[in-house]
Amino acid sequence: MNTALQTDLQKRVKRMRKLPSSPAVLDPLLKLLRRPSDQIDLKEVVELVSYDNTIAAQCLRIANSPLFGRSRMTDSIQAAVLSLGIRRIEVILLSCCLQQLIPSDKWAADPAVFWKHSLGCAMVSREFAGRIDYSDPERAYLAGLLHDLGILVNSFAYAEEYPRVLDEAVKTGAPLHQVEESILGFSHCASGKILASAWQIPSPIVEVIEWHHDIEHAPEENPLIPLVHLSDQLCRFCGMGYGYDEWHGIEFAASPAWAVLARYCPRLANIDLVRFTLDMESCVEGISQLVETVFTSRAA
Amino acid sequence: MAIEVQIASPSTGEGENSNDPVYLRIRDLVYQTCGIYHAEEKLYLLSGACRRRMTGSKTASPKDYFNLLSSPGTRDAELRELLNEITIGETCLFRSQPQLNALHNVILPELVALRSKMGMRRLRFWSAGCSTGEEPYTLAMFLSEESEALLKGWTFEIAATDLNDRSLETAKAGIYGSYALRNTSDYFKRKYFRAAEGDKLQVNSDLKSRISFSRLNLNDDSKMLFMKGMDLIFCCNVLIYFDVASKRRVVQHFFANLMSGGYFFLGHSESLYQVSDQFHLIHLPGTTAYRKVPPESPAGAKK
Repeated sequence: MNTALQTDLQKRVKRMRKLPSSPAVLDPLLKLLRRPSDQIDLKEVVELVSYDNTIAAQCLRIANSPLFGRSRMTDSIQAAVLSLGIRRIEVILLSCCLQQLIPSDKWAADPAVFWKHSLGCAMVSREFAGRIDYSDPERAYLAGLLHDLGILVNSFAYAEEYPRVLDEAVKTGAPLHQVEESILGFSHCASGKILASAWQIPSPIVEVIEWHHDIEHAPEENPLIPLVHLSDQLCRFCGMGYGYDEWHGIEFAASPAWAVLARYCPRLANIDLVRFTLDMESCVEGISQLVETVFTSRAA
Repeated sequence: MAIEVQIASPSTGEGENSNDPVYLRIRDLVYQTCGIYHAEEKLYLLSGACRRRMTGSKTASPKDYFNLLSSPGTRDAELRELLNEITIGETCLFRSQPQLNALHNVILPELVALRSKMGMRRLRFWSAGCSTGEEPYTLAMFLSEESEALLKGWTFEIAATDLNDRSLETAKAGIYGSYALRNTSDYFKRKYFRAAEGDKLQVNSDLKSRISFSRLNLNDDSKMLFMKGMDLIFCCNVLIYFDVASKRRVVQHFFANLMSGGYFFLGHSESLYQVSDQFHLIHLPGTTAYRKVPPESPAGAKK
């Protein structure tokens, strides 16, 4: 990316940070995400979630969705925070904030498709992390949720150019990040990184955003990158993709990301991948419903 | 500031029965012994089958039924009954669209390229455990359509085998009712069928001539040796009836009978986990397949 383009991109992202629709809880929430969970008071989180009625109601709907296990039905935020834990409520709250950030009529991309993929990837990342004994499944969830943050940036900050990018990707079947490079001069990995850094999202997550399409050059000491990369791919085969670049076969076990991840999580070698895929496929409907009821209606 | 926010609780919409945790144990038992897996959203299918078998076996509770399934004396017979119940009514023509899409978009182009390089213009398919013929006829229609495009100038052979003589007779007759034809579009009905008794349709003789039906026991090692040179093998919901040792042996035969680069399809909920690690698992949209990867391209099917 040349300097002029970089400056322009940064300027546009800066404008995004001061959007009138930006929910008031976003800033304190981002601060909370940076702190270790043992230094966070339950009450703080409950207050944050309760700050905005619309967001609170959305949070509860997500907390009660199959994404987080329907058996723990609850109608109070306090109970939800208690049963799900601080880290989970944080990411639920973050999803709601992101959804409010850009009103659905301002999207260049289809928000339903974007949210289905983002929430799908978040859930697959968390479940995948759990099955291979990765130490922090909730971080994996956050990384999965945010990995395509740049698409949200591009969709809003480049509203005029972006529909052409999306059309081209669907028409040619070329990977989106490559089409972005050729039309915009940068990909959602670069623009997502800028917004995430500006928000001071923890750096392992920012690395996921930056490198999830370029495993060969990614920093090897961050297992979240290959984990989200593989989850991202798996989503596309389970009906939670973007509708492009999906007509080919992939051997997961032969992908470079698999080899990197296996170094951190030896249990990967024994995973029953067909069973995992079937489990993830069976969540698609729940996620679609959730997106329909929570994420695509304009927050009233 | 509102602390409590009321939302409508979505109804779970299912009878208490499906939520009995014993069904998870039955699910695991079925998976371990038969390799057929019910993910959470499909558990109702399993519990439905169990309830029908509970009536059939006069068992009072799911827990008693689990005991029936796990006691050495009753286990094998009851598992077989349950599997029949699980797979009943499952077969129809065009059952798995994702498999056909994968064939059209990925597998066939790959096989054509690979065999062309070897100077071949012929592909061989095998429907192993073809039951009453739905699978091989679907394949025959699909390949006939491809003959006007990708497979122009190519020949294809379809071998369809089953152990059960009665199933084979039905398969050869090729007469299907509306239930079996529920996924078959009018285009295919007009092109490949003619009217039969009642409102049934019969496969036309041209399509029939594309398939060679024969009786074969997959456990018969000597006969299995004659099925060489396959490009693609389907064996859907058949291995579930085999114990692990015979399953391994049968799959080993399939592997040996496939040409290098060939593919192997199981039923949608089946896997080769802990059965064979010779095949490479390939993910395709909405489905998975196993591939005998040619030695020169260890990276698999990724382009």
